Formats: sequence, C-alpha cells, structure tokens
Amino acid sequence: MITTGSKLLIGSAVAAWIFAAVYGIAQEGTLGSIGLVSAAAGLSVLAAINTYLRDSNVPATEPESFASSAAAQASARPTLWPLLAAIGATMVALGLVTYPAIFVLGMVAILAATLEWLVQGWSERASKSAEFNAQARDVIVDPLELPVIAAIGAAIVVYAFSRVMLGLPSKSATVAAFSVVALLVLAVGTFIGFRKNISKATMTGAFSIAAVALVAAGAFAGLNGERETHPHETPGDLAAEDECVDAETEADEKASQTVAGKSNVAADLIWDGESFEVDVPGYDGNFDTLTLPRSNPNNILFRNESDREARLTIELYPDVDTDGVPLGPERACTALVEEGGTQFLTVVFTRPSFALDEPYEFVIAGEDSSVEVVVP
Amino acid sequence: VNPFANLAPKVRTKTMTEPSRSKTRTLVVAGIAAVGLSACAQDAPQDTWDPAGENAQMIHDLQWPIFLVAGIVGVIVMVAVTIAIVKFRDRGQPIPEQTHGKAWLEYLFIALPAALLAIIGTFTVNTVLALNETDDTECVVNVTGQQWWWEYDYPVDADGMICGEYQNSAGETLPIVTSGQMVIPTDTNVLIRGTSRDVIHSFWVPRLNGKRDMVPGRVHTWRFQAWEPGIYAGQCAEFCGLSHANMRMEIVALDPPDFQAWLDNQLEPYQSPEEGTLAATGEQTYISQCSRCHQVDGLTDGGGELVVSAPEQFVWSGAAPNLTNLMTRNTFAGATWDLLIESCRDEVWEADPDQFGERYLEGVTPECLNEVDLKEWLRNAPAKKPMYADPESLEETDGKYRGMPNLALSEDQIDELVAYLLERK
Repeated sequence: MITTGSKLLIGSAVAAWIFAAVYGIAQEGTLGSIGLVSAAAGLSVLAAINTYLRDSNVPATEPESFASSAAAQASARPTLWPLLAAIGATMVALGLVTYPAIFVLGMVAILAATLEWLVQGWSERASKSAEFNAQARDVIVDPLELPVIAAIGAAIVVYAFSRVMLGLPSKSATVAAFSVVALLVLAVGTFIGFRKNISKATMTGAFSIAAVALVAAGAFAGLNGERETHPHETPGDLAAEDECVDAETEADEKASQTVAGKSNVAADLIWDGESFEVDVPGYDGNFDTLTLPRSNPNNILFRNESDREARLTIELYPDVDTDGVPLGPERACTALVEEGGTQFLTVVFTRPSFALDEPYEFVIAGEDSSVEVVVP
Repeated sequence: VNPFANLAPKVRTKTMTEPSRSKTRTLVVAGIAAVGLSACAQDAPQDTWDPAGENAQMIHDLQWPIFLVAGIVGVIVMVAVTIAIVKFRDRGQPIPEQTHGKAWLEYLFIALPAALLAIIGTFTVNTVLALNETDDTECVVNVTGQQWWWEYDYPVDADGMICGEYQNSAGETLPIVTSGQMVIPTDTNVLIRGTSRDVIHSFWVPRLNGKRDMVPGRVHTWRFQAWEPGIYAGQCAEFCGLSHANMRMEIVALDPPDFQAWLDNQLEPYQSPEEGTLAATGEQTYISQCSRCHQVDGLTDGGGELVVSAPEQFVWSGAAPNLTNLMTRNTFAGATWDLLIESCRDEVWEADPDQFGERYLEGVTPECLNEVDLKEWLRNAPAKKPMYADPESLEETDGKYRGMPNLALSEDQIDELVAYLLERK
C-alpha cells in the first residue's frame, strides 16, 4: 500500500523533474536548473524513503497496525494548498511565454504550496490528537510562515503607497495627500487610544477596510501610471546640444545643487572680467598655457571673480571610430557661474594637440578671453 | 576522584641534548648575522639611508634619531625581559608576593612613552609639513602613472621656457614627453604634479624623497632635488595589479649644461631613416604594428600625414609610452629592463659625477644595445612582463589591453623594428 504522504512526495518529485526539464530547455539557466534538479533529487529520495518506511513508522510487515496506528485515527482535512499549487503551475506555464517574473512567482507559489502541504499532511498524522497535531504544525511552520507573511504584507503596503505617491499629479499634491492621510492615521490612533473597549471584530474590520482601500488605491494608481516627470537639464546636456552660451538656461537654475570635488585639481582657471589666468596648484611660477595629459579625466576649477555671470566652455575635438562616430563628448561647459562663484569641470582629451588644426582652448562664453590647453 | 583525569592531554617533557642546543645556537646566530649583513649590501640603489637630495635628507634626519631611540628602548625592554625570564624562571619555588597599585610607577610608565611619542610626533609633523612645501620649486614635471609604467611631460611656461630657466631651442609650445626615466637638472627644486590614469600608484625614489600616491582624478604635488648627477632608482609603492613589482622608475640628474643639451636633443625634429636601410623598412613596420598605441612625434605616413596614435581605443589606461626618443633612455617596459648591455650599463651607473652627463647623453649605441631583452619583449611582451593581455579575457576591459599584447611579429619584423628604434635618439 502506498500511503497518502508517499503519493504526495512522489507527485512532488515528478513535478520537480518536469519543471527542471522545462526550465532547463526553455530558460537555459544553469543555476536555476541545478536548483530544480537538486530539489527533484531530494524529493525523489524522500519519496523512496517514505514509501519504504510508510507514514508514522508503521512497519510494512505488520498490516494489522495500519488500522490502529496514530495516522489512521484522523482523516486528512480539506486544504487550499493544491489550489495554490495549481495557480502556481498556471503561472509557470504563462511565464514561459510571457514574462520571467511570472514564471518565478509561479515557482515560488508551487514551492510554498508544496512545503505547506507536506507539513500539513505530516502533522495531521503525527498523533491521535487533532489539537496536538495542529500545535505540531505551528511549531514547524510558524518560524518561517510568520516572517514571510509579514514581509509580503509590508511589501504590499510599501508598493501600494509608492504607486499612489508616484501617481499623484504633482509633488505638492503628494505632500498634501499624505499630510491628510497622516492626520487621519493620527486621529484614528488617538481615538483608539482613548477608547479602550473597542472590540476585536471592530478593529479587524477597520484595518481590513484600510488595507483594502490602500491596495485598491495602489492598484488604481499603478494601472493609471506614474505622473510625467521632467528631468532637469545639466551642463552636460547643454554641451551635447551645443548650447554652452552666455545666457542663462534651465540647467543653470539647479547648478547650486551640484556636488563636485574641489581639491587636488589639475588647475584653477581664474576669470576677473578682463584677464583669464591659469593657476597651477603647487607652483608659484606663471603659465599662460595649460598642459594636461591625454586620455585622462582632468579636473578643472573655474573661479569667476568678475562682476558678472560667466560660463567656461571648451571644444574637445574627440577622435572618431571607423564609422566616424566621436569617441567622446564634443565639448564641455560649466553651468553659468555667479559673481564670485566656483564650478568644477572634468574634461578628457583623446587627441594630442599636434594632431589638431585648432588648439584646445578654454573660453569664457560670450567673451574674448581664452586659455590654450596643450595636450602632449 | 577527578572523573576527567583521563581526558587531560598527555604532556611529554623533552630534555634538550647538547647537540640540539648547539644547533639552535648556530641557527640563532646565523639568523641575526643574515639580518645584520643584509644592511651591508653594496648594490642597493633604493637605499633610504643614503640620501641624495634635500627632501631625502630631511627624512633621513628624522628617521635615524627615531630608530636610535627606538633601538635603545628596544634593547632596554629586551634586556629587562631576558633578566626577568632567566632570574625568575620557575625552579619550583613558591609564587612570590603579588603587589598592586604602585601609582607613581604607573604614572611614570605612562608619562615616559607619552613624552617620547610627543617629541617624535613634533619632529615628524614638522618634517611632513616641510616635505610638502612646493613654493620654492623652479621646474615643473607632470607625472602620470598607469599600469605599469610612468609618463613624464615637461610643460612650457609663459616665457617659452622649459623647466624654469632652460631654453626651448625649438620654440615649441608642445611639451617633451618621455617615460621610464625622468631627467632633471641637479641642484634644482623640481615640482612633480602627479596623477594616474587607471588605479592608485605611488611614486617613490628613496634616495630623493618619500612616497607620494598618484590617484586618478587628483593631482598630487611633490618636490624633488638631486645634489649630484646620477641615476636614482625607484619603485611603485602602492600595489597596482599584476605587474606592480615591474613598475619601476628612474630619475636621472644632469648638470645644468647637460640638461640643456638633453632638452635640445629631445626637441630635435624627427628624422626618417635613410631609404633602403633596414631601419627604413622598420619605419613601415612600426606604422603598421606599433603606431596604433605608441606615438613617435613628427612621424608621417606615405601620404605625408602625421601618424597619430590612438591608445585610448586599444589600451585600458588610454596611454602607451611615447617612443620619439626611446634610445636616449637607458630602460624600457616601465624601467624594468635595460636598453644597455651590462658592461655599458655599469659604465653609466658607476660614472664619476663629472663624467656622468657626457656618458648618459651618448644614449644607446649599437654596440651597447641590449638586443636580447628588447627582442624578447617584441616577440611576446606579456610572456616577459605579466600583463592582463589575453585576448580571450578582455570582456571586463571593453576589449582593451592592460599593457602590451603579443603582436605575433615575425623575426624579420622584430629585426626591422629594432633597427628603426635604434635610430630614435
């Protein structure tokens, strides 16, 4: 006689072998295949052991014990785990032809259902006492089940919240909406705090409604899509669009929010409104050109000591690949620097100066001042 | 009855016999002698105890009193410990009376080392600050490190001068670029402005100064001075990958007139090899095989177009040594191998300071060329110097090599290249 537990293990082992084969062929994932084959092998061994020894240690050579054993005293209860396993199997099949995430979720559902069903099947035959069996099941499953359920619950709340936040029409609407929600939570919490005799059913009902509302709002916002965000332009965008001009642009509005290193730079370029000077840190002498190494990020500090805003720009004349595509940015510029302000600029030169028709030059946009850069 | 008595480990006592005691004594004496004698090495070009410049002298003036004091303290401690071990060793006597809480003794044992460390700290901080001074430098050299060699360039200042007061005979605005050996004038405070193209390296020429890290994206300054003409050897002092040990550097100090002569030679325009010679064939081989990464300034192709290297497309660091005046240097491949055969090398390294400049400026002559190592390098560079140059493992580096790959050159091509490079003076 093959017991119910053995049938379950044999069925799980067969399913695991099928999944391993399907995954190995369809996904070509080495690590996944190893995991599934290992699980299938493990389940096969368990099925073989269980078939040989029978459930609840009833010796196969003593058939009269079958009726008097602990396992025979209580019949198996109905369970929903096969339903979850079936949903998982459907998702696995669906995931193979749609999205890998659905496949993975299906596998997780099948694994969870298998584990839960195995433990339930075992616990219902652990003894003659249904109460003891239920406790035995909880002792085995709770340390895993409770944290996982809590994590899934937290993830649903966070995800739903984030969808709502990203779905609201503007940042200020988000702030307003969540201020209202926060006040509501505070008010409900205060109310509960003062009313100590609220029934468990009322609390459960209230929290269930809140949870459903949150999930529904998250689902609605998620399906509706995120609000349109407008990325801020940067000086890099200006340079790419050849708009390193002396007029103020959108990129300059947020320039004060940029972060950059300002120590151990290759050189300070100082513009006082009339003259444009090079200061080489560590050297007291005077250079009117700036020598910078090729193929290396060179960090420059631009100091605007004039009485007006100024932007530092440079044409980089990058080398091109065999298709004529530039192998680097074609120019670089700082944001518009206010009077007395400082900006950091990183430039990489891919070609030596002697290979160019025009020299490399740092230029103040809209001004007739420049500093030549020599790249050996 | 102790129930665990049988579980106690068995202790075997062994009496040291006379022969084994004598053997131990011999080993101890030999060990101490080996350590002591290693300090007497003659051929030690990277000797921190032999300063040859002002900064190295400052370090030396700091380190020897510290070592002296540390040595005295070390001897006192060792003698005290030895006396305690011998005099109070276990002879089966009862445990002596235990005393605690001698406050004055504890204060003394705290105060003495603290005072000692405060004195050492004061002198150390003063020296560190003095070493970082660069206001008095007269000559600027840009130093760029990459796996596993150093590049040096000499910028031209506002008056068209190079290295402060030296004439730029060609009137060029382009700096001189060299590698392996950095040439400086004697008795001149030289400012090194160093950075790195790939990982952190450390520039260290022990006879001239301490270590200075070269960090990508940052320019670190460091001052050098050499009192006498000569070659001062150094070594990258920050682990930087597979061939870190083969990333060396040499600073060559020349008297001011010799330095001017060296500059003039570096600024000489490019001369093509005479037509019909092996070197002329080598020029074409160079253009087809080497010029993708290595630059020879002034070299033109058959159409009269300048040949411009593009190392950023093939090398991870984006650079390869400039070979314009290769044979004016004595080394190649990150100063790891000599371009001179041993006898010629010794002549240069051991030349009197008065004659050093003349000998160095001769460069590499055909008689002195170390053809064996140079050809081995051209035959299969990664086999000679470990580099990440396996074409099958370049995924992480976007298909670019770290160091020079094996170019699979034929023996004829190698001969042609050697003939061509020999004329790069």
